[in-house]
Amino acid sequence: MNSLSDGPRAEAITVVLVEDDAPTLWRLQDALAKAGYQVRAAGTLAEARACLAQGAPKVLLTDLQLPDGHGVDLIRETRQRFPDTEIMVISILGDEESVISAITVGATGYLLKDAFPTDIAATVRDLVAGHSPISASIARFIVRRTQSTPEPPPGPVLNTAKLTPREIDILWGIAKGFSYAEIASHLGLSRQTVPGHIKSIYRKLEVHTRGEAVFEAVQQGLIKL
Amino acid sequence: MNDHGDDVQPELPGRARRRLRSSRLIQYLLLQAVIAVAGVAVLLQSLPGPPAQYQVTAFQLTEAGAERPVTLPYFSPLRNAMNDPPRFQGHFVRPAGETSQAWSVFLPRFTNGVEVTVNDVVILDSRRDPAANRPDRNTPAIAVIPASVLRDGDNAISIRLFIWGPISGFLDRIWVGPDEALRPTYNLRTLVFVTLPVVFSSWQAILAVILGIMWVMRRHEPAYGVLAAAMAVGVGQAFLQTPMGETPFSRLNVILISSAPIESALVLVFALLLSGWKWQRYAWIIFIPGIALALAGLFGNQALVRALFLILAVPMVGISLLIMAVVTARSALQRQNVASFLLGCAVTIMLTCWIVDLLSVFQMMPNRIFTARLSYSAMLVAIGAGLTWRFARALNQVDGFAGRLVTQVREAEEKLKASFAREEERARAAALARERTRLMRDLHDGLGGQLVSIVALSERGNGSAGIGDAARAALKDLRLVIDSMDDIGGDLMLALGSWRERAMAQLRPHDIALDWRAVTAQGLPVHPELRPWHVIQIVRLLDEAVTNAVKHAEARRITVRIETLAGADGVERGCITVEDDGKGFEIASDGGAAGAAKTARGLRNMRSRAARCGAELELSSCAQGTRKGTRVRLTLPHRFPDSDGG
Repeated sequence: MNSLSDGPRAEAITVVLVEDDAPTLWRLQDALAKAGYQVRAAGTLAEARACLAQGAPKVLLTDLQLPDGHGVDLIRETRQRFPDTEIMVISILGDEESVISAITVGATGYLLKDAFPTDIAATVRDLVAGHSPISASIARFIVRRTQSTPEPPPGPVLNTAKLTPREIDILWGIAKGFSYAEIASHLGLSRQTVPGHIKSIYRKLEVHTRGEAVFEAVQQGLIKL
Repeated sequence: MNDHGDDVQPELPGRARRRLRSSRLIQYLLLQAVIAVAGVAVLLQSLPGPPAQYQVTAFQLTEAGAERPVTLPYFSPLRNAMNDPPRFQGHFVRPAGETSQAWSVFLPRFTNGVEVTVNDVVILDSRRDPAANRPDRNTPAIAVIPASVLRDGDNAISIRLFIWGPISGFLDRIWVGPDEALRPTYNLRTLVFVTLPVVFSSWQAILAVILGIMWVMRRHEPAYGVLAAAMAVGVGQAFLQTPMGETPFSRLNVILISSAPIESALVLVFALLLSGWKWQRYAWIIFIPGIALALAGLFGNQALVRALFLILAVPMVGISLLIMAVVTARSALQRQNVASFLLGCAVTIMLTCWIVDLLSVFQMMPNRIFTARLSYSAMLVAIGAGLTWRFARALNQVDGFAGRLVTQVREAEEKLKASFAREEERARAAALARERTRLMRDLHDGLGGQLVSIVALSERGNGSAGIGDAARAALKDLRLVIDSMDDIGGDLMLALGSWRERAMAQLRPHDIALDWRAVTAQGLPVHPELRPWHVIQIVRLLDEAVTNAVKHAEARRITVRIETLAGADGVERGCITVEDDGKGFEIASDGGAAGAAKTARGLRNMRSRAARCGAELELSSCAQGTRKGTRVRLTLPHRFPDSDGG
């Protein structure tokens, strides 16, 4: 494995990469390794758990469809065991079904599998720096869920009750393709605060406390009290 | 000036209102005065009598043992002397030549009863006629003198006047003459004083039934019930017989005498309720005179009842009429209520008649025709007219209400239709979203993954960049197709938001900057008619413009301007401009590029896509100078076409 050769910047950044398709795994691994990240690769859920057993990584990148399980479980476990680990889901289309289901268990962003190697590295760098990327279509999806409709639209269930009107305005701006600077000036915010709001949106969408998880489970009839 | 005006102005409407109110009051009072004067004038008219030659007025009166000559009409003081009635003795002459004609004695008016004797033969005893026994009814009497009794020349006539109160005795002038000369006057009096009251009493009975039904159906309006009770009491008073003589049955019948105060009390309560007054417990005092009179009738003797009648019943009727006059006047003036107005006029008529009757009782009028009971018919007419007026008005209100209801129902129906259409639209959007989700899952599991795999493989090997580009383009298109299927609610900005991300990802490896400028704050107008295929055409057109700039123009910067322009016709149209700073090209006369065939095909594609969406495409390119580069300007239609224009 490539390690520690690109200078002190990436020295401590460890990435656990979980992807079952071998060529895609190589591609992502190469892109990250070239940027100087220390990558631990896994092709299955079991291998990923073994990697995580070695210690907390800074970043977890995981596919959702794995041969021996679902990536959502891995994300949930990681979020509980290592609250400081940044988690991203790897998606082919950046579709809301995979991204939102990952967000609700603790992911704070997503990466397209066919992204250019430089973009892959930049996205992970932004994530580590505290910026959570959010796409126009995901923003659109979240905003749509905040509008109450008698019949819930198809797709994953999302609790948007905690979002503030300002956060919804920011999501609208993103959905319409406005840049952070434009959104900030429209809403009278400082440009630097927009990524923080997005991070906060992700956190609010996460079903993150044990109590809520139990509540959800009861709601879904999984647990009988 | 203004300050002063502000002070004065609020007073003006009040003053005007007061002036209006007082002028209305004066008008009302004047009208009532006219009615009263007209009533008095009518009452002073004496009814036509038979020929004066048959009138007999000179009599010798034997009263309480004394004998003296009197001239009719004669008022006799009230005495409880049934066994020793005043006796009038007179004479009349029948000419010898008129034996073929039947002769009659005609007594137009007497209180309370008469016994007529001609030549010592009794020919009439009015006490056998129950109607005649009522002093308030002005019943006339006529009796044919049997031919055997009548003599040619001088005949003796004797009349005994029975007085049992409650008022003093009275005997009007009498006529003795041929029956055919007297009969018409008698018939006229019978019509006015006997038949007409029966007709009115029948009308009262009908009113009692109508009001009773009204009250049963509308219990929350007790006024109708009270009036129905009053009408029923009146009907009972009119039709129940009052036998003479002291029997237990007649004792019960004496209660009837209390009907006048009870009926007037009930009508008074009705008038009060009609004017909006609420029933109070103390109001029972209104009924005390009637009840006292009824109890006296049950437990006292007739003399007591008759004495009480004058003290209780007559004033009770008058007081009721006075209160009603005030109440109905107020109600008629304040509410402009036709029913109250009619009632007020009727009360005035009754009050006038009551006063005249009272004067008559105290012998201040030359004759004794009681009209109060008769004038009650005015009240009955007013009640009937008022009821009909209220009924018609209620019907009109129902019609108006029904009309309003029809309008409201129609409006509600339209709203419902609109909401149904919205619901359908929503259901359609939901179905589309479900379809999209399904399609995406299918693509995600299959095609997408394989394409990514190809990209990855082509990057590892060398010289297979072509595969990578193709696969990458396929992935991009896949995302576009999926994206365009999302319900964006007609807001093209939402589609452009995703397109921007894809375009930036495409441009980044080529080191081309994407300058995104939403010039107007809301971006583009919302188009509810926007369909997925419109979105695909527009996004592909923009893709084409960006791809041209990347592949052929060697551009360093691409600017996308999004704005809403107000046209000359005032219609807002969206406009998207893609500009690069590349080397540009010559545009041929046919609108295509003069240079490379590939570019020409690209431009032709863009034009056809714009045409299919009803959008206008403007191409301009410049190879040199400060305005170097290509500009693609897409002006969106005001309304996207329903069908594929291409």
